[in-house]
Amino acid sequence: MRTGVVAVALTVLALAPTRAAHAQFSFDARRIGMGGVSLGRDGNAQRYNPAYRAVKNKSHVAGSPKFTIPVPLGLIQFFKDHPINQLGHDPMFSPESSAFNPVALVNLVFNAPIFYEVKKAPTPTNDVQLTIGRNQLIVDLGASKVLIPEQDFGLGTTSRLLDMGVGFAGFNVGVMGFLQYDVAITLDSTLRNFLTNDSTARPNTSYFVNTDGTAQAGFAPTVSYAGRLLRGAGGKDTDDGFYIGGALHYYMGATYGRGVGPAGFTTGNPVLAATPVPLLNGNLYTSNKPFGTGVGGDVGVVWISGPFEVGAGVNDIGAQLTWSHTKIQQFGYDTVANKIVDSVIVADTTSTTKLPITYMANAALHMGTGTTVAGDVINSGRGTIVRVGVEQRTGPFALRGGVSRDQRKKMQFGFGGGLRLGPLGLDVGFWTHSNSLSTQRAITMATSISIY
Amino acid sequence: MKALAAALLVLVAACGQGNLILNVDVLSFLTASDSTTHYNVIGGLPPVDSTVSRRFSLPPGLGKSTVDSISANFSSQLENLTGGGRVTLEVFFAKSQGGLFVGTPYLSDSSGHVTGVQTVPMGTNSLRLADSVFTTDSLWVGIRARITTDVGPNMTGQLRLTDLHVRVVLKDKII
Repeated sequence: MRTGVVAVALTVLALAPTRAAHAQFSFDARRIGMGGVSLGRDGNAQRYNPAYRAVKNKSHVAGSPKFTIPVPLGLIQFFKDHPINQLGHDPMFSPESSAFNPVALVNLVFNAPIFYEVKKAPTPTNDVQLTIGRNQLIVDLGASKVLIPEQDFGLGTTSRLLDMGVGFAGFNVGVMGFLQYDVAITLDSTLRNFLTNDSTARPNTSYFVNTDGTAQAGFAPTVSYAGRLLRGAGGKDTDDGFYIGGALHYYMGATYGRGVGPAGFTTGNPVLAATPVPLLNGNLYTSNKPFGTGVGGDVGVVWISGPFEVGAGVNDIGAQLTWSHTKIQQFGYDTVANKIVDSVIVADTTSTTKLPITYMANAALHMGTGTTVAGDVINSGRGTIVRVGVEQRTGPFALRGGVSRDQRKKMQFGFGGGLRLGPLGLDVGFWTHSNSLSTQRAITMATSISIY
Repeated sequence: MKALAAALLVLVAACGQGNLILNVDVLSFLTASDSTTHYNVIGGLPPVDSTVSRRFSLPPGLGKSTVDSISANFSSQLENLTGGGRVTLEVFFAKSQGGLFVGTPYLSDSSGHVTGVQTVPMGTNSLRLADSVFTTDSLWVGIRARITTDVGPNMTGQLRLTDLHVRVVLKDKII
């Protein structure tokens, strides 16, 4: 089972960049140019709103391609800078190298180099000073203080890795795979103040971070329905109407793990008169056996009326999984042995986990003048993203712009354009983002080819 | 100390390509008896050594670090009461206790010739580049007072260390 937990953890790490890809990012330069908002009924719409499964897309959304192929200029540049056959010795991935920069590595995790970074997020390169004495401990991070987060930070999302089934007359029976993880790290206020303001450690004081990380994965047999309740004024040859959708999931969790607890140290009096006492008191919950079970559901509605459509969908309502065989271990630091030790508190008990409720609301207005305005609000499990974008098409040309408020509650901006020549289109989009440890925005240039 | 250092390094490791600078107040970790040497040496004898050695734990991972430069300084005060001669104070750093007091000291200063009641300030500093001694998790510090007396009455008094600082500049290869 430990192998399972490790596998989940590795998967989480491997999929970490897709948080951006799913929630804030897109492989479509058209969306990038509009701050991430989608003008069409793409995968996000059906992912979050089961009612969209009933929309047949008869009145094809103007300007929407059949599919889009990203041109990953960022990957080309990345592998030019970091040749695959030399990755083992690449300073970016080798802590042994004097050029190794952890900040740059974390930035890479937060922002996968799919597209070309026109302006990279800066990585602080100032000196850091530690002053150590029996009566003093001073940490001067210099300009790197800006890296100290003011609130909790971490990664988290809920993904549906597969969703397949068969259906008839609006009903669908299938199975859905899910992966949810959330890792939150919070600096205790004393530690944050020490690193950002005071810089001088105090005697008999604990400095620590609180960590809470959960990862769970499994699959869920699903019964769903999506249908058009009311037809609109456009008649049955159009998509006009009011749609509803719903899905009932029986979650069958394969494995889960959760670690929670503080980690840090406590100073002596004077501060370093004696070895500071390590502060580590964490609990680790792991599933001994698979099949944590629970029931939850999705609901959604869509209303389409000519050039206007609006929808809302909510996922994983009431999704609480009960794990009947959970092992709870406690981790602590043994000051005598000078190592981390663990002990089993409860060998086999019952625990519960929840899948966070995720949702999406969207609206779009396709004007006859070639102008389309759209917006959406989306929460994939860790923070809400609000996006508004507009596209103006004139002949073969398209001009796009948009703004968004990202998961860190920062405003981001996008703009771009496109050229369509018959069935082919080339699009370029620029997008500011804060997917890095820096407080300054970076700018990505996305390029993609659309097939109409 | 190790745990603290490790915790700190986890924090500072995320600070880019800048150097990590350790300012260590070595004197503060010495006991009063370590930092003050009382001497009473018969006049006319060959040089007599009084030594103190202490081990320090440095942040784990320094073994993989690249030291850019080491600077160290000390200051002390010789308070001679009787007799005459000279006192040389030397500071050594080594990866092991056996490596102390071998070769050229990091810091060295002589009081010059003193006689009778006399107080003499001593002190010096040094700068070295890329010294591998500090690429270790464990560092030994040795202080040696070498007393050479004149023929005549016993040379008595005390040598008091008032400051001993080491500044280690590490290139970023911490973890």
